[in-house]
Amino acid sequence: MFTALLLFHGLVSVALLGAITHQAFAVAAKHVETRATSFMARFRSTDPAAYSTAIVVLFAVVILTGAVLYPSYRQVVRPALQTLDLRAANGVFEIKEHLSAIGLILLPAYWASWRQPLAPEYSAVRVGLTWILASMVWWNFIVGQLLVTIKGPV
Amino acid sequence: MKTYGRLMIFSLVACIAYTLAYYFEWSLFQYYFAENSIGFWEQAGASGPPILWYGWLATAVLAGAAAAAAIPRRWIARLLPDLLWLVPVVLIFAALMYERRWFM
Repeated sequence: MFTALLLFHGLVSVALLGAITHQAFAVAAKHVETRATSFMARFRSTDPAAYSTAIVVLFAVVILTGAVLYPSYRQVVRPALQTLDLRAANGVFEIKEHLSAIGLILLPAYWASWRQPLAPEYSAVRVGLTWILASMVWWNFIVGQLLVTIKGPV
Repeated sequence: MKTYGRLMIFSLVACIAYTLAYYFEWSLFQYYFAENSIGFWEQAGASGPPILWYGWLATAVLAGAAAAAAIPRRWIARLLPDLLWLVPVVLIFAALMYERRWFM
């Protein structure tokens, strides 16, 4: 059950990572190039608003599954990290905890800022919150993979 | 956009409340995972440490919901939009500073 849930958590995280990275690059583009030729130009030339609801759902699912998995982490992984004196690994997970909570709390504001029709006075908020959430997702994903790698042989 | 003002107030206040909650350990409840039990006060005879994270989150959600319900609409209209991303940036920096103890 734990392994299945961890796998599901990882798969949904990958989907979230893709969606939010796409949106972050699209919202940062000053203008949409009508004849996009390069990879990056094509990557950016999507409608960023189309991703917002999917990102809210994916983010919430990732955090909820992570919250269900958390007691297992505390019972199995954290004591192993402490035994091996891997303080930095513990620290990066503590940061992941805070970023997950702050990210979850920011979802209502993020979702509201992306509602149609897009309010021009919230354009900086959209860019800011999208990049904040994208940074959190990347941090959490990398730390999650790092800890799975460390936990493996333990 | 006024319709969504309360959602934005919720996020803003809950973010601040979460930071205060973990800093001062204002956990609405504690989950003792070794015993699979929830307590509203610290249990002296518990067989392991509690998880406070769920309780911090609950504290933040409660504070955010209370603020979103109580703050008058005219005050929400005066909210500076840029605070919605500036405040989280400051709070993330505060979290990084708080957790630097693990890297010393």
